[in-house]
Amino acid sequence: MASTNGHGAGNVFPIDSKPIDQDERDCVVVVGSGAGGGTIANQLCQQGIRTVVLEAGPHLTGRDYVNDEWEAFNQMAWLDPRTTSGSFRVARDFPNLPAWTVKAVGGSSTHWAGATPRFKDHELKARTTYGDLDGASLLDWPISLEDLEPHYDEAEKRMGVTHRWGRPPLPANNNYKVFANGAERVGYKRYATGPYGTNAEPYDGRPGSIQDGFNFQGDKDGSKWSTLVSELPKAGRTGNLDLRAQAHVVQITHDTRGRVDGVLYVDRDGALQRQRAGAVVVACNAIETARLLLLSASPLFPDGLANSSDQVGRNYMRHLTASIYSRFDKPVRMWRGETMAGLIADESDHDEDRGFAGGYYMEMLSLGPAFLAAFIDPGAWGPDFTAAMDAYEHTAGMWLVGEDMPQATNRVTLNASVTDQHGLPVPNVHFDDHPNDLAMREHAWAAGVAVYEAVGALGHVKTPPYPATHNLGTARMSERPEDGVVNEWGQAHDVPNLFVADGSVMTTGAAANPTLTIVALAMRTGDHLGERIRSGAV
Amino acid sequence: MATVARPGVQPAQRTLLTRMVRVMFPHDRFPDGPYQRTADAILEAAAEDVRLRAQLDQGLRDLDAAGGAPFEGLSDEQALDLLRGMSSTAFFEAVRAKTILTLYNDPEVWELLGWEGASYSKGGYVSRGFADLDWLPDPRIEEAS
Repeated sequence: MASTNGHGAGNVFPIDSKPIDQDERDCVVVVGSGAGGGTIANQLCQQGIRTVVLEAGPHLTGRDYVNDEWEAFNQMAWLDPRTTSGSFRVARDFPNLPAWTVKAVGGSSTHWAGATPRFKDHELKARTTYGDLDGASLLDWPISLEDLEPHYDEAEKRMGVTHRWGRPPLPANNNYKVFANGAERVGYKRYATGPYGTNAEPYDGRPGSIQDGFNFQGDKDGSKWSTLVSELPKAGRTGNLDLRAQAHVVQITHDTRGRVDGVLYVDRDGALQRQRAGAVVVACNAIETARLLLLSASPLFPDGLANSSDQVGRNYMRHLTASIYSRFDKPVRMWRGETMAGLIADESDHDEDRGFAGGYYMEMLSLGPAFLAAFIDPGAWGPDFTAAMDAYEHTAGMWLVGEDMPQATNRVTLNASVTDQHGLPVPNVHFDDHPNDLAMREHAWAAGVAVYEAVGALGHVKTPPYPATHNLGTARMSERPEDGVVNEWGQAHDVPNLFVADGSVMTTGAAANPTLTIVALAMRTGDHLGERIRSGAV
Repeated sequence: MATVARPGVQPAQRTLLTRMVRVMFPHDRFPDGPYQRTADAILEAAAEDVRLRAQLDQGLRDLDAAGGAPFEGLSDEQALDLLRGMSSTAFFEAVRAKTILTLYNDPEVWELLGWEGASYSKGGYVSRGFADLDWLPDPRIEEAS
């Protein structure tokens, strides 16, 4: 294993893959290799369970990643066609790009920035805490924070999260100096450079950060945790993993009793292949997970697999999201160093006095000029726009990420009139902001501006939502089968050997970045599935 | 990026489009090169896209006619006003969208804006100023106790 940092071509963390026969039924198929799929695959392999991971995208490594925003985007992003509808601004600004996720081994864990706050107890009881908000389909989770805590502990250790379990914090970079000084001056207390899923010092066979400033583009060194550099290589070392890249699952199949018995996928040569399995785990990110369940409709499941509740695809959440970019009279050079290693948690609680339910985090953020131009104020041009770009070197940036309200009508459906390269209906993403989302966004923008004005900002741009990296809720967990798609173990209410292990299962979205919780839930589901396999129940 | 003479694309169109892009995205610090490369990229894209080619053909003619004088002869302010008047057209939007993806994805522009580009091959910034901001005190990095 390479673990020298910087200077070279990039590190490779090899993944041993041992073929499993396509007619073998004594195995689990995991669809997707990201934070959810890669983690549950490792959890299963460690228990001696043979696991086939089918990833739609190619196997890219640190050698392949490039320090160039558009080139990296075109290399890594999920660019299969999608459509949008609804009143959210993304439908106007980026009508065919509702989400910015990754199509490659490691999934969007290769693209995530690294912030790892935990969800809060009251957020898992959102319906009880926030009450009955008009238009919101709030529901309490079937599990509490207490149920999740041991898995959070384990996930943080596994990922090497800074500020936790003896892992040192990352140092302050330039963008953080502006952010944290502003926080201090407006009276915020809960700011720090983490918790964050990137090594400040070498840990777990991976190097410490060289602060190269590239993160969404894939980490060439592997100092950032991802399933590509951590969970999948560990799964491979058990001898139980068969990882197949460029294997795009198009249907989950079932037997006459309604138990799933395998999947059909398009391989790299365009041929349709079957992989049999005793259980199937879906972890394709919330848009594709819903799409695959809907695509898997059959005479027995006419509205889509595991969809007797009609909840598959509904309650789609994408987090609040907004940003502030402020300019100063002196240089900041925000691009130098870790992209998001700075969080303010003071606004993350539920405080009804602010006029909305739920909370939000303020998190440091930097984009290069190519992406800043595309995203800072989509559609803008003229001297105001160029003044913001001219100030690039003097600009500090932050992201505002908070809980958005689930709504039954915010929904992923199949668009029968548009097909992808395989001839499959593309997903349509319909989204309207809830009044609570709009109120929170206004509050967050004002709070972000206040942080920067406290350290002398000369001007700012209030940046609207980006294509979503946090896609949640389309196969939500519920206690009662009629309210959701899966139970507290991620097991489909309708199909006992079908599981979901990504952000789709989140009953509500909470304020925090979802990756840590996706990992913790995937570990919990993996342990449960392992027990069921050992007891012969699956 | 080489300029390719395409059927239907005249040198005058390239000059006019270059001027249009500069008026839309005025950066005093930028020389003509990045704007010319952007205009070339738009014309290259038009060579592969009939709709864009047709929009450019009509749009650039309108641009020259709408101000009562050739667009080239208008002051920056007059030219900006003229473009504001046509900013809802498909022609304008096509030029704007392609410019955003091209002008700011140009290494010369990155340098002009102060961005340092690829850094991994230089060892990142860990020894090259990731924390060299000196006009604010060093803040706490640990969580509040």
